[in-house]
Amino acid sequence: MTRDEITPAIMEIFQREFEIVNPDLDKDLRETYGFDSVDAIELLLEIERLLKFELTHDEKKLAMDIRTMKQIIDYVELMAGRKDR
Amino acid sequence: MTERRVVITACAAITPIGHTRGEIVESLRVGRSGVKPLREDHLLSKYIHSQVFGSVDYPIEYDFKRTHRKTMGPVAYYACQVAKEVLEASGLAQEFVTSGRLGVAFGSTHGSPTVQREIYKTFFGGSRSEFSAIGAVDYLKSMVHTTAVNITRMFGITGRVIASGTACTTSSQSIGYGYEMVKHGMQDAMICGGADEYDTTTVAVFDNLLACSTAFNDRPSRTPRPFDVDRDGLVVGEGAGAVLLEEYEQARRRGAPILGEVIGFACNNNGGDLILPNLAGITETLRIGLRDAALSPDRVDFISAHATGTKMGDIIEAQAIHAVYGDRPMVTGLKGYMGHTMSTCGVIETIITLYMMAEGFIAPTLNLEKPDERCAMIRHTPALEAQPISIAAIQNFAFGGVNTSLLVKRFV
Repeated sequence: MTRDEITPAIMEIFQREFEIVNPDLDKDLRETYGFDSVDAIELLLEIERLLKFELTHDEKKLAMDIRTMKQIIDYVELMAGRKDR
Repeated sequence: MTERRVVITACAAITPIGHTRGEIVESLRVGRSGVKPLREDHLLSKYIHSQVFGSVDYPIEYDFKRTHRKTMGPVAYYACQVAKEVLEASGLAQEFVTSGRLGVAFGSTHGSPTVQREIYKTFFGGSRSEFSAIGAVDYLKSMVHTTAVNITRMFGITGRVIASGTACTTSSQSIGYGYEMVKHGMQDAMICGGADEYDTTTVAVFDNLLACSTAFNDRPSRTPRPFDVDRDGLVVGEGAGAVLLEEYEQARRRGAPILGEVIGFACNNNGGDLILPNLAGITETLRIGLRDAALSPDRVDFISAHATGTKMGDIIEAQAIHAVYGDRPMVTGLKGYMGHTMSTCGVIETIITLYMMAEGFIAPTLNLEKPDERCAMIRHTPALEAQPISIAAIQNFAFGGVNTSLLVKRFV
């Protein structure tokens, strides 16, 4: 899965699941859009559905420091790459 | 410890007989029942003998933000809606709401059965797909204190939280414990109540215990029949209710409308059987309530009886009322109108009592046509009485042997 495919897919998840439309890539999601800890856990499940494989516990822990859309896209790209390997 | 006066300054209910005060009062005046046929649920309904349910079958316009909605099952929607209506009606300043001096006492029978059902479907469905996993928020939607904490979250309330989950005494305990919080100065105000969503699991439980009404499946509005010779069991219902309890001096200073004063509360346990009603236990509850309110029995002029319409329960309650109050106060079993709204019945019956206090009438027990002679020794309300209520007792009893009595006084 390429970055060009990941970005619109994550944007679509944000609109569908969190009612957040076209979030800024660099702004803090919690401060700007009220994206909280419960949302973050839900997002991980959505990412698994997107990638069509289950993330390991350690991989999920990696996501806990994510604050921005750009970091989410980076993370998904990294995970997609792991799958490819 | 200093004892302070506790008044009710706002209330709201979602009931099978209406949402607004006007709708509920009209239903009481014309004798309109909220009991309807049990809906098909593609799981349990076809196995249940009792095919009636006290149903909220009108639309409710919710206006909740996504960040609030995501942790709410149907039961929390009900709870947050009545809490929202109460806070809006109260006129409380936002600074007070978030000050830590306002608490929440709110509960439900068992969280959200609708969400729990989805969890079980995933768990027992045989699917190994990791993509049908149980959602992260499912616990927050279904846990037993989901109503209380969704209310605190929605309004930024930072005070005490009490989440009673004692089935049919849940919301009467909420009011009682909220009353004690404010009376003893631990909080200056409490939002108290309960909610239960549409749920066939509860019907199945009571059906298995042979406690549900089955003889009126073709005439839902004719059941339950509290104290009536033809009663054949309870009818499960749904709904929500909230009252705002407030310290009297604060309410007076801010010019809040005072709907009534809570003057006493009792809660005890039968100390034995978890199902059967217990005359000694219930009688003692009523006596403790009067002692707490420092009242002689003759001061109470209206009793909202628990009166679920079961064979034994109504007889035991009538005996307890007669032993403590004699045949002076008028007695109404409000479940005749809407069935047994479970965790919510105490607060709904309290709110209806406040409405009747304000309107100056006492509603009759719906479907009480011929009192069972074993229940006939108390003063039933067979027809609407244009009589003011000064002091009311609201009685509720639950599985587990938990009993409550709330004493509420008209504010003059």
